[in-house]
Order: sequence, then C-alpha cells, then structure tokens
Amino acid sequence: MTRRIALLALFVAIVAIATGYAAAFNRGGTPAWAPWLLALGIPVALGAIMILGAVRGAGGIGRLKIPFALVILILMMGFVAALALPATENPLSRLWLGLPVRAAIVIYGVGLLPIIVLPIAYAMTFETLTLSAEDIERVRESARHRSSAGSPPDSKEENAIIR
Amino acid sequence: MSEMPAAPLLLQVALPTTAQPAVIAVGLLYFAVIIAISVWAARRTRTANDFFVAGKGIGLIALTVASVSVSVSGFAFIGGPGFIYAAGLGAMYIVLPAAVTNVMGAWVLAKRMRLLAEARGLITIPDAIGARYKSRAAQGLSAIAILVGIVGYMATNALAMGVVINSIFGIGLGWGIWIGMGVTLAYSASGGILAGIYNDVFQGTLMAAASVLVFLFVLNFGGGLGDISRTILAHDPTFLGPWGRLTPLAALSFFFVFSMGSLGQPQAVHKYYMLRDPLQLKWYPLLKTLGLILVLLLYFGVGVGVKAFVLDGRLAPLTSPDQATPTLLLNVTPIVLAALVFSGVAAATMSAANSFINIGAAIVTHDLPIAFGRRVSNELRWGRVVTVLIAVAAAVTAQRSGTMVAFLGIFGWGLFASTLVPALAVGLNWQGATRAGAMASIATGLLVTLALETAAYWKVFTFPAGVTASAVAMVSSFLVFFIVSWLTRHGAAVAIDSDIRLVMDI
Repeated sequence: MTRRIALLALFVAIVAIATGYAAAFNRGGTPAWAPWLLALGIPVALGAIMILGAVRGAGGIGRLKIPFALVILILMMGFVAALALPATENPLSRLWLGLPVRAAIVIYGVGLLPIIVLPIAYAMTFETLTLSAEDIERVRESARHRSSAGSPPDSKEENAIIR
Repeated sequence: MSEMPAAPLLLQVALPTTAQPAVIAVGLLYFAVIIAISVWAARRTRTANDFFVAGKGIGLIALTVASVSVSVSGFAFIGGPGFIYAAGLGAMYIVLPAAVTNVMGAWVLAKRMRLLAEARGLITIPDAIGARYKSRAAQGLSAIAILVGIVGYMATNALAMGVVINSIFGIGLGWGIWIGMGVTLAYSASGGILAGIYNDVFQGTLMAAASVLVFLFVLNFGGGLGDISRTILAHDPTFLGPWGRLTPLAALSFFFVFSMGSLGQPQAVHKYYMLRDPLQLKWYPLLKTLGLILVLLLYFGVGVGVKAFVLDGRLAPLTSPDQATPTLLLNVTPIVLAALVFSGVAAATMSAANSFINIGAAIVTHDLPIAFGRRVSNELRWGRVVTVLIAVAAAVTAQRSGTMVAFLGIFGWGLFASTLVPALAVGLNWQGATRAGAMASIATGLLVTLALETAAYWKVFTFPAGVTASAVAMVSSFLVFFIVSWLTRHGAAVAIDSDIRLVMDI
C-alpha cells in the first residue's frame, strides 16, 4: 500500500512539474502559478522516491514516516515562503545568521535543515528498516542456490544469466 | 541566466597564468603524490573485478571521500562562484540539493545496487538494468546512453585540465591537456578504479581543505557574513533575494534537475558496488553529505564574498564572472592557499575524468559485448586498452574548437539523469516497471536530450525562461516510463528473476 501511494505521489508530482514547465511556453509569458507547481511538486517527488526506496516488500516505512514528512514539509515551506514573502531586502534588513530573512530560509532551511533530519534517521533505523546482516545472508544464500542450480552468479558467467 | 543546468558546469574560462614558484611547487607535489598512489594501486590490480569495482573491497571512509571527490567538478571552484557573482543566490539552487541527494541515493539505490553485487557479481550500471529487466537490449541501450554522455564529459574535463595545468605551470593549453590527460591515463590504465579511488581520497581531502580555508579567509577578510551581506544589500539587494537574479521557475528547475538527476549520475552510482561491507552503508549518507558541504563552502563563500569586495571597492570589477575565484586568490589570499585551490581544481577534473574513463571502458569491454551476446575473453587487458583509447580520444577532441567541446559538455548531466533515473532508480524499487517501459524511457531521454540540446545550441529553438532541455527530457522520460509500464503491465512481476525480486523486496 505504501509503495502504491508513493508511486502515485511520484507520478502526480512529475505531472505537476511537467505542467509547470509546459505553462512556461505560454506566449504571454510564464504564468505566476507555474513556479508554485514546481515548489509543491519537487518536495513531493523527492519524498515519494525516497519512500519508494525505503519500503521493504509489502510493508510500510515504520518510524521513517516522521522524518520523511518533516523534510517534505521543510522543503515545501522553504519554497513557498520564498515565493510568498514580500521582497523587503534593504541595507537595514534584519539578518538571520548573516543573511536576510528570505535568503536565510532558503540557505539554512532548504539547504541545511534536511541534513540534520534525514541522514540521522537513515543511520538510526538502518538495521531495523533498511539492511541487516540477515538480509545480506538471505541474498548470499540465494546466490549460492542459483549457482548450484547452474546459473553461477560470477560476473564472468553473466551471459548465461541474462536471457 | 535562465537556461543552464549544464552549461555553467563547464570549466572553460581563461584562467590567469600564475606560474609562481609556490604554485608550481605545490602543483609538483600534488602530481608526485598522484604517481605514488598509482604505482601502489597498480600492484594490487590483478583482475577485471579489481579494475572496474576495486574487488568490492573499499572501506567506508575511502569510499565516502572518493564519492565526494567525483561528485564535485572544477565548476564548484571556478564556474560556480562566478555564477553566484553573476546571478546572486539563485545560483545556490544547483548545490542546495546536496542536503537530500546523498541520503536519497542511499535509500533508493545504494542498498539494492550493493545487494545486486552480492547476488550476481554485477560490476556496471547497465549490468543492473540488464539483470532487473532480464534484457540484454535494455543493458545495451543504457550502455549506449551512458557512453554518449561520457564522450561529452571527457572532452570538457580534458579541456578543463588543460586550462588549470596551464594556469599552474604556464606551459600552454595544448601541453596542459596532454599532461593532465597523460597523468590521469597513467593511473587509470595501470591501477583502474582502485588507483582512481585512492587518488580521489587524496584529491577530495585536498579539495575540502582548500574550500574550508578559503571560506574562512573570506569571512575574516569581509568581517563576517553579516558585514558582507550589509555591503551587498546597500548596493544590490536583489542579489541576496531568495532567487537572486533568476526567475523562481529557473531556480526551482535547477533544484529539480540537480536533485532528482543525481540518481542517474553513473560516476556516483557506480561506487555503490564497491563498498567492502554492505552494512557500512549506515553512515555513508551522513558522512558524504558533510564532506560535500565542506567542499561547497568555497562555492558560496567566494561567490558572495567577491561580490561584496567588488562593491566596496576592495577588488576591481571582474572582467568576467568566472574570474571571481582567480581574482580573489591572486589578490587577497596567501599564495600558498591559491596554490592549494588550483591543485584542488586540477584534482576535481582529474578525479571526474578517471571515473568516466573507467565507466566508459567497462561499457565498451563488458556491457556492449554482452548486449550483442558476446564476451571479451580478457576484460582486464581490454579494459586497459580501451582506457587508453578513450583518454586519447578525449584529449584530441579537447584540442578542437571550443564551440564543439562546449556543445559536447552541455548535455552530460541531463542525459544521464533522463536516461537512467526512471529505469534504474524507480525500476529497482517498483516490480510493476516493465522492460518496455524502461527501454522506452531510456530512448526518450536520449533522443529528447540530444534533439533539444542540438536545437538550442544551434539556436533553432529558444527555451522560455526557466525551462531547460535537461528538465524537459527528464520529465518526459519519467512520464513515458510510467505510461508504457502501465500499458505493458501484464506479467511484469513474473518477468523478474527470484534473486532480483529478493533484492527488490529487502
């Protein structure tokens, strides 16, 4: 189910991004709503393909729901804020960590915040949700089985494998 | 500034000739280390498996640093800061995806590629596509697509090497190309990917050190990021807007192409095969992301810093944006730091060239023969021969007109992205994807990229602001992949071998 939802979300997001690009071909210039489609579609597409990669078999993604949702939201809110907030940059602008507000949202929010969330979540859930020693042994056992059945896994014999 | 995902990745600027004793000394030291590593690696390369995937024996730290090294081209040091100088913060959308691309690659591809190496002993990316879809034709088609991309990348990397080496030693562009390519060839042909990996480790470390030092120097010289921002805001507030001088569509388009497209870059994806212990993948995305951030500090620091220094009169206005890094290094920083950065740029181009030479050699000696139902009897020997041929062809091409080389280099990233991301990244995670869908998608990516880039290059057609050939090709390739897979969905899951299905289920 999770895999299907992720696939559907990826497809819809790609269609949204494609529509945004197609709108740019409008003779009267790019409509104001076109970048919004990318701003919403890109986070969904990236989140969906990550979820697709994280799903095991017919199962779900367990605790990874939270970091995935969080990062999709961070990206979406960053892009939306950059599009929606008024341009107020001037010499007296208040600076956030050395940058005006909208730039800080993009550089620190979109560019740095996901680093704190996703790679940590990946490492913390690695053995339980991504790959365990048992998983590797199952693959090796399958390779041994395939080899004994007459289709050696050695790359030198690949021609026999690829039919 | 609205069209260019790949165009600015070229390093074809006319760098100033430094040729000062300190720069030459650091350059010579750099080449001496490269040669020493290569001799050591050549002694350890005995089989085709060693040559193409380092015998699946690379440790976590080495693989991480090497992967950072090949992910960053000379663009991050020269063209990128220049692009920021010209376009403002909108140019950051090329590198901002680094926050998610490594962990995305880990979830989507790393585990499955590494397990495919366990299950089948695969050594190339087309191998994975061939095994996934049980199709020699799909393997051959993806191999051709990668080879076309490599032709472009190799020529531009050879030219970039010539530019940098000429800048360091002052020996002329032609000699720079031959010497750079010769050194890269020597270690690629003798030590294969093993020499490449350990040279990448050295080169990546050098790049990170140079980047951090320059970034700290810029902050110190500018009185901190706050003061640098205030200077820019007083003269050019648009520069520090969230899109800089780009349109929102153009900036977001960069983010899309450079995030999703990262899943199709063979020089990075190929490395997943090489990790000694698959369980070490646990820390790979975190370490690689941190490494990339360090290397990219220069990109941001120099681009923004030089803008402020020019605006407040501490640096003269640049003759072209690409002079941002050389101007800063030769006028502001200590000469040893300049020497380190120039060696870092040489390192970046050689590292990328080595990876592409190795992947190209594997395609010619391994994937294409398989696609035609044949095998090369001695892949190691022929791998070395093809490595020499690719390097010589790249060096010869790079000597030709800059216009032609520029054209070749434009489509590399987008071509890899549009031909490989759906078939490989989605295909390894969706059992409903079909052979027909994969082949249609690869063909679409290849044809759309080549047709649109050619039309745009010869000015037959102009894209609207924010739209690029890479983006259109990738979106088209995705849609074709989904639609054709859906239309041919009957029996899709049955057409997957049980061991491959196991890898896809884990």
